Amino acid sequence: MSAALLFAVGGLTSVGIYLITARSLSQIILGFSLLGHATVLGLLVAGGAAGDAPIAGTAAVADMSNPLPQALALTAIVISFGLTVFLLALAVRQQHLTGDDQVEDDLEDQRIAQGQPAENLPEETTEEITQSIEGGIP
Amino acid sequence: MLWLLFGAHLVGIAAAVLAGRRSMQAGLCAAALAPAATAIWAATRLVEGGDVVSAELVWVDGLDVAISFRADAVALLMTLLVSGVGALVMGYACGYFSSDAKGGSRFGATMLGFSASMLGLVWADSIWTLFIFWEMTSVTSFLLVGHKHTDAAVRLAARRALVITATGGLVLLAGLILLAQNTGSPNLTKLAPISGTEAAVAAALVLIGAATKSAQVPFHVWLPGAMAAPTPVSAYLHSAAMVKAGILLIAVVGPAFGDVAAWKWLGICFGFASVIWGGVGALRHRDAKLILAWGTVSQLGLMFTLFSAGAPKAIFAGVALLFSHALFKAALFLVVGEVDVRTGTRDITQLGGLARSMPLAFVVALLAGASMVGLPPLLGFTAKEAAIEAVLKLSGGTQAVVGVAIIGGSVLTVAYTIRLLYGIFGPGPATSVAPQGYVRRRSWLMAAPAVTLSLAGVVGYAVIGGVNEIVVPAATELNAKAGVYELIAWPGVKTAFVISVLIVITGAVVGVLWIARGSNRIPLSLGADATDGIVDGVISKSPRLIAWIQHGSLPVYLAVMGTVAVLAAAALASDFAGGHLIWWDHPLQAMLAAAVVIAALAAAFVGSRLGAALALGSVGFGVTGLFLVHGAPDLALTQLLVETVVVVGFVLGLGHLARRFPPVTGSWRSVRIMVAAAGGLAVTAALVAAGTNPTGQPPTPDLVAEAVAEGGGKNVVNVILTDLRALDTLGEVVVLATVAIGILALARVRTRPQAQTQES
Amino acid sequence: MKPNQAPAIQLGIRVASPLAIVVGVYLLFAGHNFPGGGFAAGLVFGAVAILRTIAGLQRPRGTTALIACGVLMVTVVSFLPILWGDPLLDQRVVTFDLPLLGTIKTGTALVFDIGVSIIVVGLVAAIINGLSASQPTQGAGQPTQGAPQ
Repeated sequence: MSAALLFAVGGLTSVGIYLITARSLSQIILGFSLLGHATVLGLLVAGGAAGDAPIAGTAAVADMSNPLPQALALTAIVISFGLTVFLLALAVRQQHLTGDDQVEDDLEDQRIAQGQPAENLPEETTEEITQSIEGGIP
Repeated sequence: MLWLLFGAHLVGIAAAVLAGRRSMQAGLCAAALAPAATAIWAATRLVEGGDVVSAELVWVDGLDVAISFRADAVALLMTLLVSGVGALVMGYACGYFSSDAKGGSRFGATMLGFSASMLGLVWADSIWTLFIFWEMTSVTSFLLVGHKHTDAAVRLAARRALVITATGGLVLLAGLILLAQNTGSPNLTKLAPISGTEAAVAAALVLIGAATKSAQVPFHVWLPGAMAAPTPVSAYLHSAAMVKAGILLIAVVGPAFGDVAAWKWLGICFGFASVIWGGVGALRHRDAKLILAWGTVSQLGLMFTLFSAGAPKAIFAGVALLFSHALFKAALFLVVGEVDVRTGTRDITQLGGLARSMPLAFVVALLAGASMVGLPPLLGFTAKEAAIEAVLKLSGGTQAVVGVAIIGGSVLTVAYTIRLLYGIFGPGPATSVAPQGYVRRRSWLMAAPAVTLSLAGVVGYAVIGGVNEIVVPAATELNAKAGVYELIAWPGVKTAFVISVLIVITGAVVGVLWIARGSNRIPLSLGADATDGIVDGVISKSPRLIAWIQHGSLPVYLAVMGTVAVLAAAALASDFAGGHLIWWDHPLQAMLAAAVVIAALAAAFVGSRLGAALALGSVGFGVTGLFLVHGAPDLALTQLLVETVVVVGFVLGLGHLARRFPPVTGSWRSVRIMVAAAGGLAVTAALVAAGTNPTGQPPTPDLVAEAVAEGGGKNVVNVILTDLRALDTLGEVVVLATVAIGILALARVRTRPQAQTQES
Repeated sequence: MKPNQAPAIQLGIRVASPLAIVVGVYLLFAGHNFPGGGFAAGLVFGAVAILRTIAGLQRPRGTTALIACGVLMVTVVSFLPILWGDPLLDQRVVTFDLPLLGTIKTGTALVFDIGVSIIVVGLVAAIINGLSASQPTQGAGQPTQGAPQ
């Protein structure tokens, strides 16, 4: 097990966690991306030592790296790619609605915290929320 | 057959909902059909005998998760009670409710829903099935007790019943899981005897669960409160059906705990306390229904004691008592309900002289009461004789405790029965029958079920052989040695009979003295208030807890999750050894790793968005290099291309936000850094621990051979993806397509308000 | 993003596009025996689309149709074997001789890979269109008035 790879995994995880606990959605996306890298590398580390590419006929089977985690990792790369670009689209939409990409605290939760049950929301407030959800479509 | 009957109940629920829209009566009639059919089936099965019927619906095969039913002798006896009394009570309810009563759909359907859950519980052959139906009876009984939900007191009572029985259900679940783990089978008929500490814990948990359901002291507080339910509900749930579930449970799982002392003594403690305290409670109350409810607590305590004692004769007596109790207690409830409807009160100090104005009800009550007291020629007598004889068969401390319970409980039973009957029917201020509000309903509908149930006590005594055919096989099934006993109509003047006579005389004296003393204070309901207080406290405090836990800040949620994950990974540290570590596979790997981490740090700490995006790109390219060094060219190729597109996406999407990230406040930032550092360490440690004890070799040779032979390709990774794991790839592609559609949809939505703003 | 109208770059991208497409097609076919595969090929095609957009040559069109087409191909290839009683996603290998290229051994997996690559191209097109579509209509860098008060 290579300490260098482990260092990369640990470092990427740390920075990833640091970023996803940020307030800015674009930083959260960066964090997710880094965590994705960490996961993929983690899969490889756990799967065995480095070796030759697992392509039949190009190297001795004994020298090949383990292809199974690579197949898993390929799926992981693709899915985290999909997730990242979707989050990006969300961030872009957020920025169109509010002008920035800050993740605000949940209004509803704050109301509950103030002992104000959701069903007693004043009329205007619900309307406001609906509007912001619908993007202002009347 | 079992599926058919169960299905009939489900169909009946739908029918009851539809018919109940017309009137309460129509709904109840529709509901009564399925239980009536089930009762007839159970009766014929009991008479004919034959093989045990079972049915199973397997859900997860390998995990033994299945709905399995099994109608053995015990289950058939309970089926007869549950469905028979159920059908009679539903008929009775047709008369009990006025024809313009509201909620017909709801009441009929819930009654039948309860009936079906109860059948499922009775038939259950695996502890999982048992638990599911156990909880379903809790829920349906909550709905039934709370039928008059506009009344705050009723809601409170229903809530109390639900909180206690559902909490007990959870305790029971824990006990059942322990039991299943120790016996190695979730099958109730295959429970092997267990012993040891875990067995004692399981015994205590199961007993607590059973005690909550069967209203044993100190969990009995819900039962008197549940008298807020309409009387048909009380007659059904609180005499024949739900309260018997706990008794049935300890009877069925009892053999597994035969060697566990905790089981026996805790059970006897519950039973003893309930017998005495229930009897005292029945003497203290004035409301006829409450007297019956406390009496039920006491009688259930008797059964609890007998089944916990575990001796063959005690189990036999328990089964006999279970059977006779359902009959006479339901009949008494029905009479009290009729008195309530016709006089408008249930207070025995206000009632009196009804023997003349309601002669039929009087006879029914007399027969049922005499059966409860244990007088011949009634079924209750034979059951009580069996119980006393069971005590005589016991020995040592068990005999003393169980004896005091049975004899003391019986004396109290005699006393409160006399007080109840005297209060309602005896001389006194003659209550005017049928005052305003009582329109002369189909009163025969109320009378007939009560008459049937009380006559069953007489008939049962007359054809005691027939009753034995029902009771003996059931007792034999619970304990093989219990099969030698049978109910005896007239035992002759023996020790048990003498004790029985003494009990009746003492009880009568106590009862008469109590009536003469005329204590008519309404007793405090301490336990009930305390329970409500606890529940209210939980409900009023929970918003603050929720506000504390669910405060709405996403970063804090994520930080908490990260911390929890770190703590979970800490458990792996015990398995930690670094012997398999090497510095690097290749020097280049070390350089790339360092570069990747530096680039990641740059992405985190660089102030500008563009810089962060570029740093992310660098991380991606570094990771690509790591893949190449590792011998994963496919990953490298894919990562390279993905990274390109992602960076372009970042630049396209976020290019025109504010150039710099907003500043971060100090203290939260340090928390983040700590959580992040701990998270990274934990993941690294977990990976090292995972590599410490590899369980096998990489399957590379097999996969290579397989790829060439089966997949027809040389690139093993790609063959795995498109052939061996093609279904995953299919799913992955669908995810990508969904993401693409989602992005387009998000883009479309946001273009609309802009158009509007520009117009305005 | 402001299209770059520099003629030299446009020319370069015009020349590079067919080459990149050839690379993509190679990856598509090579996937079974060498690094490559449908996903990588799709990303290469997507990169071509990105380059052409940036250079102001053309924007991708028909994104939804692309995605639908790809999903259809993948699904049909996956479920078709069920019709003749084989397990889901079972693949058939076909061998035929072609002039110039020699013996080609291919199978339904190739169709699957083509479908994958089409979906990926659709995704990249969606990213280009979805993340940047409305920006030219707004003033650059000016935050949008999202929610009217």
